[in-house]
Amino acid sequence: MAVVIAAARFWRQSRILGQAALLLLRRPGARGLAISHPHGQQEQFSSLDDKPQFPGASAEFIDKLEFIQPNVISGIPIYRVMDRQGQIINPSEDPHLPKEKVLKFYKSMTLLNTMDRILYESQRQGRISFYMTNYGEEGTHVGSAAALDNTDLVFGQYREAAVGAAYAAKRANANRVVICYFGEGAASEGDAHAGFNFAATLECPIIFFCRNNGYAISTPTSEQYRGDGIAARGPGYGILSIRVDGNDVFAVYNATKEARRRAVAENQPFLIEAMTYRIGHHSTSDDSSAYRSVDEVNYWDKQDHPISRLRHYLLSRGWWDEEQEKAWRKQSRKKVMEAFEQAERKPKPNPNLLFSDVYQEMPSQLRKQQESLARHLQTYGEHYPLEHFDK
Amino acid sequence: MAAVASAARWLFSLRAAGAERHWRRLCGAGLARGFLHPTVTGEDAAQRRQVAHFTFQPDPEPREYGQTQKMNLFQSITSALDNSLAKDPTAVIFGEDVAFGGVFRCTVGLRDKYGKDRVFNTPLCEQGIVGFGIGIAVTGATAIAEIQFADYIFPAFDQIVNEAAKYRYRSGDLFNCGSLTIRSPWGCVGHGALYHSQSPEAFFAHCPGIKVVIPRSPFQAKGLLLSCIEDKNPCIFFEPKILYRAAVEQVPVESYNIPLSQAEVIQEGSDVTLVAWGTQVHVIREVASMAKEKLGVSCEIIDLRTIIPWDVDTVCKSKESIL
Repeated sequence: MAVVIAAARFWRQSRILGQAALLLLRRPGARGLAISHPHGQQEQFSSLDDKPQFPGASAEFIDKLEFIQPNVISGIPIYRVMDRQGQIINPSEDPHLPKEKVLKFYKSMTLLNTMDRILYESQRQGRISFYMTNYGEEGTHVGSAAALDNTDLVFGQYREAAVGAAYAAKRANANRVVICYFGEGAASEGDAHAGFNFAATLECPIIFFCRNNGYAISTPTSEQYRGDGIAARGPGYGILSIRVDGNDVFAVYNATKEARRRAVAENQPFLIEAMTYRIGHHSTSDDSSAYRSVDEVNYWDKQDHPISRLRHYLLSRGWWDEEQEKAWRKQSRKKVMEAFEQAERKPKPNPNLLFSDVYQEMPSQLRKQQESLARHLQTYGEHYPLEHFDK
Repeated sequence: MAAVASAARWLFSLRAAGAERHWRRLCGAGLARGFLHPTVTGEDAAQRRQVAHFTFQPDPEPREYGQTQKMNLFQSITSALDNSLAKDPTAVIFGEDVAFGGVFRCTVGLRDKYGKDRVFNTPLCEQGIVGFGIGIAVTGATAIAEIQFADYIFPAFDQIVNEAAKYRYRSGDLFNCGSLTIRSPWGCVGHGALYHSQSPEAFFAHCPGIKVVIPRSPFQAKGLLLSCIEDKNPCIFFEPKILYRAAVEQVPVESYNIPLSQAEVIQEGSDVTLVAWGTQVHVIREVASMAKEKLGVSCEIIDLRTIIPWDVDTVCKSKESIL
């Protein structure tokens, strides 16, 4: 039957033949529609126009030509728990975290900030080669990490691999979630599209955490996308999505906690878009004054900083004060400096390690190269700074 | 019904005949002459070759691996996959259209036997397939990914070269994706054109961290594929698609391994060494016998089998014995 219809259409010779075939299709027992629907529903198909049966979508017909307007003026709303002064807006959203936990948030964020300052400076002094700071985004890191279990897997990029790991965790009944962090720039890569689609179709317990900080190196979001950010893409893949205030550590915490609970319980992906601002340069190789105003940066630093907001919260509860702040700053600086100096004293890895772990076992070609380098260094070692390398 | 069907057949054959006439006209115009038809005169018409020519040469029945069964290449692949999923509960197979059995029937019956969480379709996205496979392997489970045609492996090139190949090295062996195997139909068939014929192994041949393996026969394929799956490094296994049905051999039913990075001297010779892999091994066997017959040249034939890391020693030893 299908052959006849195909043949008829192919040569456009016999419309009668084609129409006759279509009529034949309607008989119960003939191939096509009649098979997939039970006999009782046959009345509904007196006109094939009543309800769409396309396998590709579940939707109604519309007889008005209308393009869906993307809404970028009034986009997906931003969930927050605290205002900029650290006051809880809606008490029912207060996570009611105990003092020690909130202090741990604060100390993690400020320790990170201290480490950033010291390491940025050390790069400027030539003591390390490269560094990327986290200024302004401490809330996204700490709030989300605090909501996870110790056994959960964290992928900092590698979106598709994160999905694979989540699938394996689901198969193993491991009770683990996988979280994958990426920026709004990385969300433009095909990797993100693949990751979202696979996570949704294969029902993986994964949280996609997008840090939307306004810039991908020098590229502002207006040049990165034209839709309503990253959160708006989630529903396109069938993924439950939320946009949160990334500078509000409690909002980040609440959203991640709930996403984790449901991802594991329901084996489905979640997308969290944390809105924030990159206060620092992209890296030590970047000078952002080349593409944005110092005023813009200062605004965010002064008016909406995750550390300040949490500090206001702590102060208003009497869980923190100026004296503790001074002492902690001193202590965290000391901690970072000690770790830094200890790391600086370590020699660089032994040159032999160039060849190991390429494969699990070292193939003979690599072993020969390793031996060749060893012989070379025996003869010409004086020309190399071997004293900086582990023996 | 039968009358209608035979009418359709008649109409189709008319069209085919028209096409054939058009093709002959083209050939007559001299465009294809010399290129497609090595001999032009009428008497040599019988010798004219219009499709890729080779004769698959089966190896003798293996005795050391237990009971054997007559299998073609795609059946030997199915057998290897069946053995793998049976003994490794973490093993999963995924890719485009693998659930119903695959476009080349390599995964027939496996979903019914092992379940839909172990043999499943993915969306149409090669970078996703490989990236997803890397993630599964990172957790320690065995991932067997299929890329429907080797011609489509390029969207996954970044995942293979930048991620899979470097996973162990860049983490100082803290993490690895060694339990990932990517299998893909490979090589020309005569009518595959640009995107169903490619042999892309050269693009991967200098990428440290991965292994690339190409079998010449069903027996070789099953043993090599099982070795790839069990190997603790990410492997790419290219399957010569022209051999899927054409190559038939006795293949052991149980699991067995053929070592990777070991070339095989399949014929000894004293004048020149010929190195080949995949389908071309059979072509080169014919070349060797033609050389012997027409030129009196004794050829040594080596099936390289693993492209990277390749068996330098066997090939060099072969050269030395000739000099």
